Amino acid sequence: MTVAFVVQRYGLEVNGGAELHCRWVAEHMAKHWPVEVLTTCARDYITWANHYPPGEERTNGVPVRRFPVSRPRDPEKFGRLQEAILGREHREQDELDWLEEEGPTSPALLKFLKSREKDYDHLIFFSYRYWHSYHGIRALPAKSILVPTAEHDPVVHLKIFKDLFRLPRAFVYNSEEERAMIQTLSRNEAIPGLVVGVGTEVPAESSAERFRLKHGLVGPYLIYIGRVDRNKGCDKLFEYFLWFKEDTGSDVKLVLIGNSVLPIPGHPDIIPLGFQPEEDKFDGLAGAELLVMPSFYESLSMVTLEAWALGRPVLANARCEVLRGQCRRSNGGLFYEDYPQFREALKLLLRSKDLRRRLGENGRKYFLENYTWEIIEGKYLAIVGQLEGRPS
Amino acid sequence: MDVDIDYDNLDVGAVMDQVKKAAASRPPAPGREERSRPPVSPGAPPASGGTASPPPGPLGFKAKLKAKALKAMAPFFPVIRLFALPLHEEIQAAVRSLDRTNRELDVRTAAAGLRFRDLDRAMEYIKLLHTLNHNLVLEVTKLRVELEGLKSRARVLEKDFEYAGRRQKTLEGRVLR
Repeated sequence: MTVAFVVQRYGLEVNGGAELHCRWVAEHMAKHWPVEVLTTCARDYITWANHYPPGEERTNGVPVRRFPVSRPRDPEKFGRLQEAILGREHREQDELDWLEEEGPTSPALLKFLKSREKDYDHLIFFSYRYWHSYHGIRALPAKSILVPTAEHDPVVHLKIFKDLFRLPRAFVYNSEEERAMIQTLSRNEAIPGLVVGVGTEVPAESSAERFRLKHGLVGPYLIYIGRVDRNKGCDKLFEYFLWFKEDTGSDVKLVLIGNSVLPIPGHPDIIPLGFQPEEDKFDGLAGAELLVMPSFYESLSMVTLEAWALGRPVLANARCEVLRGQCRRSNGGLFYEDYPQFREALKLLLRSKDLRRRLGENGRKYFLENYTWEIIEGKYLAIVGQLEGRPS
Repeated sequence: MDVDIDYDNLDVGAVMDQVKKAAASRPPAPGREERSRPPVSPGAPPASGGTASPPPGPLGFKAKLKAKALKAMAPFFPVIRLFALPLHEEIQAAVRSLDRTNRELDVRTAAAGLRFRDLDRAMEYIKLLHTLNHNLVLEVTKLRVELEGLKSRARVLEKDFEYAGRRQKTLEGRVLR
């Protein structure tokens, strides 16, 4: 049995959520099946400009076939089309035009899928919203498994995707909330779907002291890990954090790990460290009082799982259904909807070491029960087994 | 805030209920409603740092110098006014006129923007109406064709019925004879 993973971008330098998710799953499932990755030559997700050479190569031992993107995206035109389909009455053709502009448009990849259909028993498509998934699943629905990685953003409501969600043979969801959203939108309850998510590699040891020494940190700190971006709710986080400091006089600091596309307030207690290697990220997590996740849209927050894997509690944005649901199910974090709730929850967490410890323990238990690689691999094997008619 | 937490059976939902209650009892201070602050540039001074007043300069010497210069120039003021003022007024008038034009342009650009938006919307509706019209014409044509077919069928059935009537009468005649 051969399984192909079809994804918009793939490579060691590609660290977008869905793409990294796909790479990790492909690398782990290669232990169980012959796997192949079918992807484009793109590295940049804004323009999809061809970067990697087309053809075959191996990445961390996994065979990868790359196909050229026929035309790069014009971000301005794409923005206009998106505004039109999200803000005005439109036809299905307008949505298809938007998808064509969104890309990554790769007719060569689609042609390959159609011509070599017999070589693959299952095709696992990542990210519902891109060209490759829409056309790939429509071409070969009987072999398709979709990992939608859907967030609660307006695009998911487009007509073309409602129809798309009724086509694959099975779904691999990231969270209960994602499954509920897609089933509500498309009434596809009859299609088998498991909530799986993704595992994460946690280093055997991490050192808070090493992190503090390296970055000259003294005193308690919260940590945010990820792109510092308005879309991730970071502007609100800064606002709330500065208000919290003024209101409570707390000496807590906010450490930011990740590249920034947003001006960061020049406050001495907001410490932007930029992109950091994995070791530093885990060291930073280990020393933090808690991880703060201000994002409004998440299909699955890997960094939240990593915090729980290290036994750290989480303070999350309750307006993100996935984060709120995960905090409730795991009993591993508190959440907030507005500033007063942020203030009270953070005050409580900083004051009570026992609460932080207990939340961290619960989070770790939840991680071990649901997100270790053995469990993730088992779930993928189960869903493919179900399609093959084998009992799970 | 006194929060009652059962650490052995921690329930985040129960903790959050208490957090929400505490939050509701202490609403945010004025100016801390849900709105974003203007973007803060990197490296800007701390928000809580306050604004320092500008440092005082050597006003005494400068003021004296200025007063002396003004006094010395006083006899020439009418000449200066004669040469400088008309030009100044002309420039001011030109600036005022440019400013007026600019404002007018702003208003007209904003109005044009609104018109363009309306036009865009109208265009979308027209497109939808075209599609609707096209579909309606198609459906009416199909119905017309179907109607003609049914009419033909009815005529055939009518003829069959007449024929069957005639045949029945003939057969009845034969049987009775």
